[in-house]
Amino acid sequence: MIGRIWAIALNTFREAARIRVLYGILVLVVGANLLALVLGTMATREEARVARDIGLAGISLFGSLTAIFLGVFLLYTEVQRRTIHAIVSKPIERWEFVVGKYLGMALVLSVLVALFAVAMAAMLAFEGAGIDGNVMRAVVLAWFEVLTVAAIAIFFSSFSTPFMSGIFALAMWVIGRLTPDVEAAARNASGWIRVLAKAALEIVPDVHLFAVSGRTVDGAHVSVHGDFVDWGYVGMAGLHGLGWIAALLALSALLFHRRDFV
Amino acid sequence: MADLAIDVRDLAKTYRTPFARRKVEALRGVTFSVERGALFGFVGPNGAGKTTTIRTLMGLIRPTSGSAKLLGHTIPSREARARVGFLPEAPYFYDYLTVRELLDLAGRLFGVPSAVRKKRADDLIERVGLTRAADQNLKKFSKGMLQRAGLAQALMNDPELVVLDEPMSGLDPIGRKEVRDLIVSLRDAGKTVFFSTHILTDVEAITDRVAIIARGSLQASGSPAELVKKTVLGTDVTVRVAGDAAALTAGHSRIRRAGDELGLTLGADVDVDAWIDQAHAAGAKVVSVSPRHETLEDLFMREVKAADDARAKADATEQPS
Repeated sequence: MIGRIWAIALNTFREAARIRVLYGILVLVVGANLLALVLGTMATREEARVARDIGLAGISLFGSLTAIFLGVFLLYTEVQRRTIHAIVSKPIERWEFVVGKYLGMALVLSVLVALFAVAMAAMLAFEGAGIDGNVMRAVVLAWFEVLTVAAIAIFFSSFSTPFMSGIFALAMWVIGRLTPDVEAAARNASGWIRVLAKAALEIVPDVHLFAVSGRTVDGAHVSVHGDFVDWGYVGMAGLHGLGWIAALLALSALLFHRRDFV
Repeated sequence: MADLAIDVRDLAKTYRTPFARRKVEALRGVTFSVERGALFGFVGPNGAGKTTTIRTLMGLIRPTSGSAKLLGHTIPSREARARVGFLPEAPYFYDYLTVRELLDLAGRLFGVPSAVRKKRADDLIERVGLTRAADQNLKKFSKGMLQRAGLAQALMNDPELVVLDEPMSGLDPIGRKEVRDLIVSLRDAGKTVFFSTHILTDVEAITDRVAIIARGSLQASGSPAELVKKTVLGTDVTVRVAGDAAALTAGHSRIRRAGDELGLTLGADVDVDAWIDQAHAAGAKVVSVSPRHETLEDLFMREVKAADDARAKADATEQPS
């Protein structure tokens, strides 16, 4: 089982690594970090702060968008191009195929997040700052976010077209990022908005947990530039993400299992 | 009871369009079996249900009703798929891989140990004639080369049963002959081979048994010799005649003229001796006389027409008045 999943994951990594858009995104991230340098010069004594903010936002934003892009295409194209016929006709279970595709994608995204982090570290080094524990924890949280968004995209692409999957996954990510506002709506709004907000809290992964800098956590204000969450929080958030990933992959596998490949 | 490699019982598949709720019956209760060690041809016109049957057997499509067993396992079965090699119709593989990498991936999915994988891949690449292209991306492969790569990946697990969907499709005459020889060699090596095609000469030349499918229903099944009628349908004659041969050809069919050579087919009711006497009297020299029996092509055309007629009748009955 492990061998089959790993074979699919490696092949997916190889497939994704050939997608030129990813290299474009990498250039964009490096560009964003260079922009941080320019903006930093405008904010006296805040250069490192700007570099950290833009670098981390770049990892989260571009990482999640890449996850959606890969997630909605990689599974769909297997079916569309019928490459899947020669794969699932071999002694592999369909859930193994879905998990293998996800792991391959997660591998590519992990490499990308690492490269984004290296680009940010280079900018921080240029500004005379380094990567401290806060930044490390923020990068790991952003990595969890990217992996969770990838599972959301895979889930939609197991039954929908890339365009619709992209719309749904993007909507889920945005709603997930606005969890505190959705919680407020569920408490304070009335009528159907309250019902919708409550439903959203149940079915949308709380990706806001992974982007807490500048927010209040357990009654305390946290910031990557000052007091930030500890590794315990990172671990709990990671487990939360893993729970969602497992649930979304299980649902994807179930939907994929029922499909006819004509 | 015979040892069966494939046993299909009342297999049916109906597709429903999502919004119109229109039903499309791709398979209508197909039943047939393939004995182990046989070379079985599955023939039918385009849209007959060949590929649907094969995809159902390989677990790509779920049947609406009926059942099937591969090597004694009820489908879908991972155990069975581990012992089956499959070439999909018009195969499309990951075009960024080389054939060597494709075979490595197939071997990994089949669970072939790494020590065996490389050796087997090399042997298969040579066997299908892709040695010189072994390290080229599949993107650069012609349709015929892809078909060969597809055959090689289907054999990576040294399967007991080989299922090939249109293996000769897109190949030139040399490629077809090579694939035909490969199929025969697999049978000679003791494997069961089940392949679909609409090229009847291939089926007639190499298969032990054949099934004809049309309009989603099985029309006939058996050995080619059993299926075709033994009665003489006519007599093919060739004579050499100078000048006008109108008297000899009148009322006959399939007339071919090349220089002074005249070929035609006499109907089953024609007195062949009398026609030869007439030809001699007209100054013709008889070159050859051979009785014409029913061919698989005749049978195929007859069965397909019968299926079309039956469907048209059923459609007319179902039409609301």
